Amino acid sequence: MADITVSKPEAGGRKAPLLLRIYDWLATGDHKKIGIMYLWFSFVMAFAGGAFAGIIRGQLATPDTGLVSPEFYNMIISMHATLMIFFVIIPALTGFGNYFVPLLIGARDMAFPRLNAFSFWLAVPAAILMFASFFTAGGANQAGWTAYPPLSLTSFSAGAGMDMWILGVILIGTSSILGAINFIVTTANMRAPGMNWFKMPLFVWSWLVNASMILIATPVLSAAVSMLLADRLFGTGFVTVSQGGDPLLYQHLFWFYSHPAVYIMILPGFGMISHVLASFSHKKIFGYKGMVIALALIGIIGYTVWAHHMFVAGIPAWLQVVFSMLTMVIAIPTGIKIFSWLATIWGGTIRFTTAMKFGLGFISLFIIGGMSGIVLANVASDYQFHDSYFVVAHFHYVLVGGSIMTLMAGTYYWFPKMAGKMLSEKLGNWIFWMIYIGLNVTFFPMHFMGIQGMARRIFRYRPEFAELNMLSSIGYVFMLVGGILLLYDLVRTVFFKKDEDLSADPWGVNDVQQTLDWEVSSPPPAYNFEKIPEIK
Amino acid sequence: MSRVKSLVLLTIFVLIMSVGAFAQEQSGDITNWIDEPATPLAEDVRSNFFLTLALILPFLLLAEGLLIYVIIKFRKRPGREPAKFHENVRLEIAWTIAPAIVLVIIALSTYSLIERINYAPQSDMTVEVTAQRFFWKYHYPEHDITIAEEPLVVPEDTYVTLLGTSMDVIHAWWVPAFGVKKDFMPGRITELWFKARKGTYKGQCAELCGPLHADMLIDVEVVSEEEFEDWIAQKKAELQQAGSVPVSGDDEKGDESSKQQAN
Ligand code: HEM
Ligand SMILES: [Cu+2]
Ligand SMILES: [Cu+2]
Repeated sequence: MADITVSKPEAGGRKAPLLLRIYDWLATGDHKKIGIMYLWFSFVMAFAGGAFAGIIRGQLATPDTGLVSPEFYNMIISMHATLMIFFVIIPALTGFGNYFVPLLIGARDMAFPRLNAFSFWLAVPAAILMFASFFTAGGANQAGWTAYPPLSLTSFSAGAGMDMWILGVILIGTSSILGAINFIVTTANMRAPGMNWFKMPLFVWSWLVNASMILIATPVLSAAVSMLLADRLFGTGFVTVSQGGDPLLYQHLFWFYSHPAVYIMILPGFGMISHVLASFSHKKIFGYKGMVIALALIGIIGYTVWAHHMFVAGIPAWLQVVFSMLTMVIAIPTGIKIFSWLATIWGGTIRFTTAMKFGLGFISLFIIGGMSGIVLANVASDYQFHDSYFVVAHFHYVLVGGSIMTLMAGTYYWFPKMAGKMLSEKLGNWIFWMIYIGLNVTFFPMHFMGIQGMARRIFRYRPEFAELNMLSSIGYVFMLVGGILLLYDLVRTVFFKKDEDLSADPWGVNDVQQTLDWEVSSPPPAYNFEKIPEIK
Repeated sequence: MSRVKSLVLLTIFVLIMSVGAFAQEQSGDITNWIDEPATPLAEDVRSNFFLTLALILPFLLLAEGLLIYVIIKFRKRPGREPAKFHENVRLEIAWTIAPAIVLVIIALSTYSLIERINYAPQSDMTVEVTAQRFFWKYHYPEHDITIAEEPLVVPEDTYVTLLGTSMDVIHAWWVPAFGVKKDFMPGRITELWFKARKGTYKGQCAELCGPLHADMLIDVEVVSEEEFEDWIAQKKAELQQAGSVPVSGDDEKGDESSKQQAN
């Protein structure tokens, strides 16, 4: 991988010594290299998180054999979620953002390259803290990724594991706050001449809205977990009942971040998928302005819905009405996006590249996730489904069917640009179907488990749920195979395949798309543009 | 072609799976509120759920159907040019307004229910519940009886109000067939109610509360008025024999053991 950006621009192309090349990566401030490091980082984390998912599914397939202890099971579900959210999806989206936002707006780099590198390097100790916490006395966080007090206080979660989890969350949060500042300043100040707001590609828009959300929401999460940490270490009483604190305060603050966080995990995916769908239908994106407005609305309304996670927590009825109403309102811009994507491919000449398959798969899955979201927004139904497997089904359709599928589409779409080589389309076909089928077999039955009354976060369940759980665990195996094939193809192509001398526009899409990423060579030279392009 | 075939196969597979799931057999005790709601409230919640499904399924099918249609119809073929349109304001307005109307209907059907879920129309009987890792303690104030780690026994067709709190962490009392769920928290008292048909019902704690969260089960026996009187009499007799209140003083022990489990 290293030889791409280091040696290629030099005429003659002699490779620098290995150590130097490694140093070059570690010390880099180049947005493209940082982007690629983010992507590898999240890919590695995805395998850890996926292995944890395997432990969960293994235990639930055979609940009576006691594959894991109840304590360990709770650590695994907490860390599975933490890794997937904070260490897989958000960094992967940040990786694409880092690589492509400057390219797409015609800038030479991010506004603050050193800060950019710093953001990435903050994620590494955060990950180390998370994994190391397993080896403390008492083990890792057992209180769920939500870490509700009192369960997460010292009386019930003694030991350093929880403290390390909190510090890890604060570190990775700081990383994304700094990143967000960088994105906002870059987009505001460094657009090429002529690129006004409504000429910005949707991916850039999606990242701008996203960064604004991160900037407002993430500090609140840091505040919430800092209160927890203070109560744990210094005996303060923010959320400790015996000290006059209130656990509900934590829940409000936590969800004030974590609800917007679900949009933080999907908005850049929306942007990416727009590029993919338009490109491989060979059309312009339908309803560009509507899409931008929808993005902005989601960004704004996303802040007003957090208490829909707390309908059964004992908040007053009138608040339940308000939050349910606002939650339903947010379904409207989301619907606008789905219909606009459909209209984008309508009448096009669709090429079924792997990227496009993931794009179309995304639409089909996100529709399901969105619909179950409306069921949950309906307070009366939510009284039944909250903390049941219906919720687990819903958020996996949104997170895996949504975020992960868009990331896969983005990977296949932009890989040739980043690496100067193509991934195998033949393997890609297998990878897509393994993941797509596996995902449905794993998560679709969870709707029925939830409807029938199976609670979430349990390592053992009543026998009537056995068949569905077995089915769900079988689905996991398909996804695992898909993931391993992807790993194989990525490593093979990046490290062992020769450069292919791809053209600037290997997919042949830019006669219609006219975005700057397909104007520069593949991979782009250092500093992207010899001359800053002018946009007409 | 194979792509289309796989899609069709997958759809069929998903359908079979869903039917299979609904057709599952029930054991004697009831968790399944879809087939056997045990309270009027659960029936209303079920109708509300079905109404929501009925309103969103057309959109689901429309969107998925359009997607499949597009995939089949607009494949790249030699000689066909991609269309050039990329705007249609009327269409965009239509697909903004249509979902909005549906959402309003869903909302209206829900909001009358929220009041009923949260406030009992009346209360014939109150039971005070204390959740504790990992069991439930029920106190019948009118009879001065306390039981723990036993099924809750209540008379049928009676408005029962549960006043719940917790000794340690957050727990949630959930019996699906009753259509109710509520968090019980330390330092707070929350309230839920039901009026159930005769039968035995199962539920469980629905808020992660520690290692044995999965085993924090709930059993409710809804019995006839006479059976309930008998049960009360029997419990009173037991109490007298033991000469003390059985569970008080047990609290600390429970606390101790739960702390040990946490380590
Ligand atoms: C191989 C695929 C996956 C499988 C089989 C899987 C399985 C599961 C299961 C069974 C649970 C529920 C644990 C419980 O509540 O008892 C769970 C929880 C969760 N998963 Fe996954 N998962 C997968 C991938 C993902 C991905 C990619 C993400 C995020 C993008 C994700 C995010 C979450 C979250 C946020 C939770 C919530 C944990 C909690 O709070 O209870 N999962 N997963
Ligand atoms: Cu509990
Ligand atoms: Cu529990």
